[in-house]
Amino acid sequence: MAKLAHNELVTLLMAIAIMMLLSRVLAEFGRRYKLPMVMGELIVGILLGPTIFGALFPDLFLKVFPRTGNVAIALDGITNMSVVMLLFVAGMEVQLPMVLKQGRKAVITSLSSMIIPFVVGFAMAWYGSDYFAFTTPDRKLLFALFLGTAMSISALPVIARILMDLNLFKTKVGQIIIASAMFNDLIGWLIFSVILSQLENTSSEGTALTIVYVVIFGLFMLTIGKKIIDKALPWMQKKLSWPGGVLSISLGLCFASAALTESIGLHAILGAFICGIAFGDSVHLNIKAREIIEQFVINVFAPLFFVSIGLKIDFAANFDVVLVVVILIVAIVGKVVGAGLGAYFAGFTRNESLAIGFGLNARGAMEIILGTLALNAGLIDRPVFVALVVMALVTSILSGPMMRKFMSNQ
Amino acid sequence: MEANFKYDYSKLKKRPSYPFETIAVAISFSPRMEAVLCETKRMVENYKSNLILIHIGERNTEKEDVLDTNLKKANIDKEKCRIIWMDGDATDLILKICKLNIVDLLIMGAIEKENLFKYYVGTIARTISRRAKCSVLLLTHPSVQPKPFRKLVVNGIDNPKTIHSLKTAMYVAKAESSKEVAIIQEVNMPALTMTIAESSTAPEASKIKKDMVQEESIKLANMVETLDKTGIEVAIKSVNGKPGYAIGNYARSKNADLLIFNSPDTHLGIFDRIFTHDIEYVLADIPCNLLIVHSRV
Repeated sequence: MAKLAHNELVTLLMAIAIMMLLSRVLAEFGRRYKLPMVMGELIVGILLGPTIFGALFPDLFLKVFPRTGNVAIALDGITNMSVVMLLFVAGMEVQLPMVLKQGRKAVITSLSSMIIPFVVGFAMAWYGSDYFAFTTPDRKLLFALFLGTAMSISALPVIARILMDLNLFKTKVGQIIIASAMFNDLIGWLIFSVILSQLENTSSEGTALTIVYVVIFGLFMLTIGKKIIDKALPWMQKKLSWPGGVLSISLGLCFASAALTESIGLHAILGAFICGIAFGDSVHLNIKAREIIEQFVINVFAPLFFVSIGLKIDFAANFDVVLVVVILIVAIVGKVVGAGLGAYFAGFTRNESLAIGFGLNARGAMEIILGTLALNAGLIDRPVFVALVVMALVTSILSGPMMRKFMSNQ
Repeated sequence: MEANFKYDYSKLKKRPSYPFETIAVAISFSPRMEAVLCETKRMVENYKSNLILIHIGERNTEKEDVLDTNLKKANIDKEKCRIIWMDGDATDLILKICKLNIVDLLIMGAIEKENLFKYYVGTIARTISRRAKCSVLLLTHPSVQPKPFRKLVVNGIDNPKTIHSLKTAMYVAKAESSKEVAIIQEVNMPALTMTIAESSTAPEASKIKKDMVQEESIKLANMVETLDKTGIEVAIKSVNGKPGYAIGNYARSKNADLLIFNSPDTHLGIFDRIFTHDIEYVLADIPCNLLIVHSRV
């Protein structure tokens, strides 16, 4: 069995240590100013990566963070594992019954907050295709579908934090935002996993089969799979060592589900995400167990994933001002108008509707994960990715103040 | 009785959920018939109500004889109640009869847990519970020697309907001379675990959780303060877990005699059973006798 050489192991461990320690320092600094943790982690990546450290000390940069060889492969493996786990915990926070519980208002708001940004994003990519540099022209449709999806998802954790800070979490407005964000996430990731699977499969039969697989897998996991988890969890939490038993079995199930979807031609993230929903929605999942799983992934693997983004990309060289501005405007207008109109027609006041629009506008870490996967799959190029990252950060920062403004006008 | 109803909804509108002036009981010719009738008799006497007996199904002399025998056993005077026999869709007809006769409380027998198929397809008792425009009492263990409901558990969720359920609970508690009434505040914070994990120190995290629970507790305590609790021992309890599931578990663990729950906010369908929430958790596995309060105020 191949293994890392002594010096490679040292390099890998040092790289991980630097990524984790520095990202923690910046995340803690950002926390004081109520900035999302992901922002600190991205900045560390930019500081350590080719944008700054790599530009100033190219030889040292390549020594600490090699771009080829075993260390690079090992780091890539860790970040891939991280993204699977991140999607698992993102799924754990999605509670579909909440969307049903909120009833008609949530359905109208969430559908509108998905469809309008999706159409706007799709149209931008389709009609502005000359502006975007595609790897191959036959991917125009997939690219347009991707940009539509990228415009329509929301970042549940960022939104939840803002609602909590504004003391709106338990209000009707807050509950509609949370329910809509959950719905957006679910549909967004389902569409995205179909898009990713189509990168290697261009026939119409293949597409139909992929959709059938997605539906079958989703329905199975959210009904029978969830029932099995419901039955197994009380036993696991009672009979296995605590918290190791539930932690290892939950993550084991997450990887098994990810492997299953990957093996049937869907992306691994779909398996992890749906498994997360089935697991997180169980009434038997102890709050402490949920906290342990989420703390472990968010604080250990999320930093590695988000820092690694900055390590791979030169943000300065790929920063296209026009592209950033266009994507930012399309994202904000699409989401605020889409969600706002949906909320207005669902019966909310003008100011509440705008607050809901800006609330759902926060894209946060979810957008960055989506962009990274698309970049790795060769669906988008680096300038588009950088524009998406900037959009994710700006929309997340903008959400709180804008919601405060419109809710205080109530 | 004619099948073509003409409703006079004006009498139903703004009618409070109590007192139980008219009690109806849905009769099925099952082994539990006598027990359900005995329980009904006790309640009719206790609440000084008018009684309507409803049976949906073919009327024949054999059934009439069985009903007469059971009414005698339950000590119900046939002359002092109305008996409605109709043939057709049981759920629709029972709901219509209840509306037409301004029924305040509909009593039915129900088993605690249906098999999976029956649950998803929907049994009569559960379907009526979801759709009824009057309060519904599901008796899980009716007895020929009925006992008053001594231990009551009531939902205290943040919902405009809760105040009506609480007032009805006090009315029931007085009529039943209940020993204790536990009002349950279910603590559930969807989507917050990840947020707190991301951006809070340990003291901050516990403060956030404490503040959110406290805010709800104050609201509930203020609501409880307005109730007439004379002679009733009322306690507010916080329980962690999903609404519906947590209170059901609590009622089961405390051997409650009656769980009192708000009627559903929306029309519940099969999706609500697949992606279970709130009252569906209780209906999936009824922990004890269940009173679903429907206030028309």
